Amino acid sequence: MDVASPSLELKNVDVHFRGEPILSAINLQIQPGERVSIIGPSGQGKSVLLKTLAGLIIPTRGHVFIQGCDWHHTPKDTKIPLLKNLGMLFQKNALFDSLSCGENIAFPLREVNHLPEEDIQKLVAYFLEAVAIPHAKNLYPDEISGGMQKRLGIARALALDPQILFYDDPTAGLDPITSRKIVDLICELQKKKNSTLVAITNDMNRAYQMSDRILMVVDQAVLEAGSPQSIRSNQDPRIQQFINGKLSGPLTVMA
Amino acid sequence: MTPNSFSHYILNIFSEIGSLILFLKEVLITSIKYPSSRQQILEQIWQVTMQSVSTTSMAGFFVGAIMAIQFAMQMSEFGAIGYLGGLTTSGTIREVGPLLIAFLLSGKIGAYTSAELGTMRVTEQIDAIRCLGANPIQELIVPRFIAIVISSFFLLGAGLIMSVFGGALMGYLFAGVSYEQYVRYIPSLITLPSIISGTFKSFVFAFILGSICTYQGYKTTGGAKGVGRSVVNTAVLTMMCIVVADWITSTLSDLILKMITETIH
Repeated sequence: MDVASPSLELKNVDVHFRGEPILSAINLQIQPGERVSIIGPSGQGKSVLLKTLAGLIIPTRGHVFIQGCDWHHTPKDTKIPLLKNLGMLFQKNALFDSLSCGENIAFPLREVNHLPEEDIQKLVAYFLEAVAIPHAKNLYPDEISGGMQKRLGIARALALDPQILFYDDPTAGLDPITSRKIVDLICELQKKKNSTLVAITNDMNRAYQMSDRILMVVDQAVLEAGSPQSIRSNQDPRIQQFINGKLSGPLTVMA
Repeated sequence: MTPNSFSHYILNIFSEIGSLILFLKEVLITSIKYPSSRQQILEQIWQVTMQSVSTTSMAGFFVGAIMAIQFAMQMSEFGAIGYLGGLTTSGTIREVGPLLIAFLLSGKIGAYTSAELGTMRVTEQIDAIRCLGANPIQELIVPRFIAIVISSFFLLGAGLIMSVFGGALMGYLFAGVSYEQYVRYIPSLITLPSIISGTFKSFVFAFILGSICTYQGYKTTGGAKGVGRSVVNTAVLTMMCIVVADWITSTLSDLILKMITETIH
């Protein structure tokens, strides 16, 4: 890794799906240890932006840099060690439903780190404890609640001790108290490792809680909304409409 | 169909073929550079074999029985009923066995694999594997692909053994051929070329099935509907490709056999 380079960088990135532009001319840098939240109306491309940053979507044009590596123009062999530095919580968790909760966490430790079985079991116990679901080790993902599934997803994302963490709407569908707990957990774990954090959320309170910087995705562009302290003074009417949840304004409200 | 949509349709077919070739290239490179664990492959072989052995054995039994009944009627007219076992088993090993196993595997393992991989794709489990630093081709595709090819040989063997039992039973019940009589000419009528031809066909069909079902599953898009589409595509495409491949391999083996015979004489 190039020490001086940002953790993540997009240079002139366009993403089109079936000829339809989703993101256009995106330039973005996220520094190591930075906590960034992505907000924006539904269907504007927040998840597409996150997956593009994570190297999961190949942009139609432009370059994606992950820890200084030009992701889609680098041979696979070079990228494999870097993949260990990334962790992701998907919107619908993407847990391996044919594996128990414990095995979900053990998977990367076994397949990627090739650790001895004894160490794997110790780490599984540690991560389940860290996300407060030690009793779920032998249960399957569909046997635990939505909040516990989120926790399990976080534990699995953290299993390889990644330097960059992506969270796709970590509080979606959760009650306010569980949401708060999940975000507290995310922040606590981020602080411990000083990892880079990129999270999508539509809950402004959680965005204020877990970010140094807030970005807004709208009209195929990424707007710098500012820090949690300065966002309220941002003059962009779209940002003001979104953070205040107003129906009238430049943003189209999707029914 | 307008000329425009027809050309679009043709273009799509070629685009899919190109995409399948690139996928197979990736599977091949991955299997060489990053071999899957032996345990994963063995687990898959066990799963595929155990899932299908009862079906293929039962089908093999009845195919042997049907063929024995059909041949018995004709052969008794020519006084060649003693060759019933040899002819039935030879026909099964060269043609009916591999084709039948392939069709059964297509309906069972092909549909199962494409549905499993398709569901993993649409629920982002494949993306999750990639985000956890593992290679989904190495973890999911290569073990399933190898398992389908290897299991097809075991299943062919099981089907053949059961076809001998089915044929012998029908030979005894309908033509009065004893078991000893039935099996007597099997070794002399089953030649090495017929065994090679049967196993080669079985390999080709399993390769086709493994390619299509893993490709269809891995490339699934569009939620539950997309998974359904992948399963249907797998069933239809494998059946079509297997029939075409059967014609090609039969013609080829016939030509090769003729050349060998001419060289010997």
